[in-house]
Amino acid sequence: MPSMLRFLRLMLFIFLDYYRSARIVIEVIATSIFFMIFLRSGTRIIDAEYFFTVSSIFIFGLTLYTMSVMLNLSDRPQGYMLLARRLSRASYLLGFYSTGLVILGSVYILMSLATIVLHQPVGLTVGNWLLGTLPLFLNVSLLGALMLLLSPMVVSSGWRLLILGLIALAFSSNFIGHPILDTLPTTVTNVLAGAQTILSWPLVPAFSGFALTLSRDYSGSALVIIIAQVSLLVTLLAVAVYAFGQRDLIFTQ
Amino acid sequence: MYVIEAENLSKTYDDVPVLRGVTLRVAQGEVYGLLGPTGAGKSTFLHLLLGFLKPSRGRVRLFGTSNLMAAHKRVGYLPERQIYHTRYTAQEYLRFIGQFSDMKPALLRTRIAETLEQVGLTSASDQQVSRFSRVMLQRLGLAQALLHRPDVLLIDEPTSSLESAGQQAMLELLVTIRAQGQTMLLCTHYMDEVEYLCDRVGILVRGRIAVETKVPHLHVPATSAVIHVDQLPPDLHTRLSRISPAVHCKERMIVLRPNNQQVQTTVLRDLLDAGVAILALEPLERPLEQIYLQAVNGEAPPNAEVLPLSLLSDQVVSPSTATRPSGTGDTLLKELLHRHSSAGTAPPALPDEPAAEE
Repeated sequence: MPSMLRFLRLMLFIFLDYYRSARIVIEVIATSIFFMIFLRSGTRIIDAEYFFTVSSIFIFGLTLYTMSVMLNLSDRPQGYMLLARRLSRASYLLGFYSTGLVILGSVYILMSLATIVLHQPVGLTVGNWLLGTLPLFLNVSLLGALMLLLSPMVVSSGWRLLILGLIALAFSSNFIGHPILDTLPTTVTNVLAGAQTILSWPLVPAFSGFALTLSRDYSGSALVIIIAQVSLLVTLLAVAVYAFGQRDLIFTQ
Repeated sequence: MYVIEAENLSKTYDDVPVLRGVTLRVAQGEVYGLLGPTGAGKSTFLHLLLGFLKPSRGRVRLFGTSNLMAAHKRVGYLPERQIYHTRYTAQEYLRFIGQFSDMKPALLRTRIAETLEQVGLTSASDQQVSRFSRVMLQRLGLAQALLHRPDVLLIDEPTSSLESAGQQAMLELLVTIRAQGQTMLLCTHYMDEVEYLCDRVGILVRGRIAVETKVPHLHVPATSAVIHVDQLPPDLHTRLSRISPAVHCKERMIVLRPNNQQVQTTVLRDLLDAGVAILALEPLERPLEQIYLQAVNGEAPPNAEVLPLSLLSDQVVSPSTATRPSGTGDTLLKELLHRHSSAGTAPPALPDEPAAEE
């Protein structure tokens, strides 16, 4: 219980620091511009599918910004003063991550509320919103967790390059076309295809989650997608916490 | 049980050794000074103690445990750089810091007020930290380190970022804290701070503790001394030079190098007998300065009380049994000067009296 209380206080501390730095203005301005352009009434009929499509893309973009700022804030020597207290390294790392998610979640909720109140989108009931938001927010959390794992204070540059290389390999089928593949020896194409299959497997929950956000169809085995997203999220965070725990703390900012 | 124990502690960054087998122990109530030039590895040592860095070899224990995280509640840390979150008032910052140490709200309120008063920041408690001067930031650093009444203070270069008045104020604060029996490990490159504050000093050179000694032993007279006189008669000049090869006479000064009690006594007696006015008697170099320079230059320590690469226990160091150089605080000198004074001659000038060990 005391450790949970410390964790919540750390989140409050980080949030106040973030808020007072006026960095939150970027989120407010970006959200306002996005709302004015894409969710303004009169330009088109806003239904549930349109809302989730555009807001997913926006919130992923915002995740890249907010999490980058959070990770920069965590990688400052000021962190020594916190870690010299009874805060564990895991709490420290997850504190910044969770605060970032709270900011993103708040922005998304405000944006959704404004859309629902002002435009009453077709088919966007509270229940429908929750069904679409759950996999969407899990995907946001996954993206944040991946950024956390790849941050310089968590993994060394060698590991970062390796992970990025594996991700690139997983996506390689998108940018290595058949004309190129046809020129390669059969063994190489077979190995590449196998590697792509294996490495793209962890990406399945994210893509399936996105599809679930748009369809909000939880019939059949849709719940497995949520479980897979949660499992992948827990795995990424566990690896990040473990790696951070093993490293020398040399804050760089 | 020692408060701090480091055994054969080594740290390497990218194949570059920063610490190479540091062994030291700090007992309860002791103030230990880790003295060394910039880049010697002092901050690295502190970061190893705090668990920020992992040792490449060796081990660290705080309060008998190698679980450094568990020991954090008993440790106060004052960093070298003023790395505080500046978007809070001093009071807000301390409140959060106290909460991260699990302090209860009522106790925290009292302690914040007490600590701000202790470091002289009460009037600035509602001021935003970003508006603080360097001295105020250093006081805030001390406040956050003291807030939870730690059993040991780890202090990294407490005055290096301050101008001279600020340095003096900070030293006075640390003296006050020391007077309360606070255990401290002070990392610094200022010899004055060590002499002023510490019970024991280790000189860290190129990642190793080259020399370790008790600071009171540095208050013994230097191994060389100079006697300033009004005018040395030529015959006395010759006579003194014959006493020992250690006596080097000039017209207005006599250098004793190396100095010892017997030579010094004989020289002073002859001077007084000849009616020569002694203007001053002073060490040529401060002992710590001498030891420090020798350590940095890789030379042997100058006397038996200063042991290289060792932990000085009370058994090892025995001032009463060691051969000591004689000097300005000598009882015989006082006796001679008193005799001189009683004989109606103008008393010679005495330098500041050292803490002599008779």
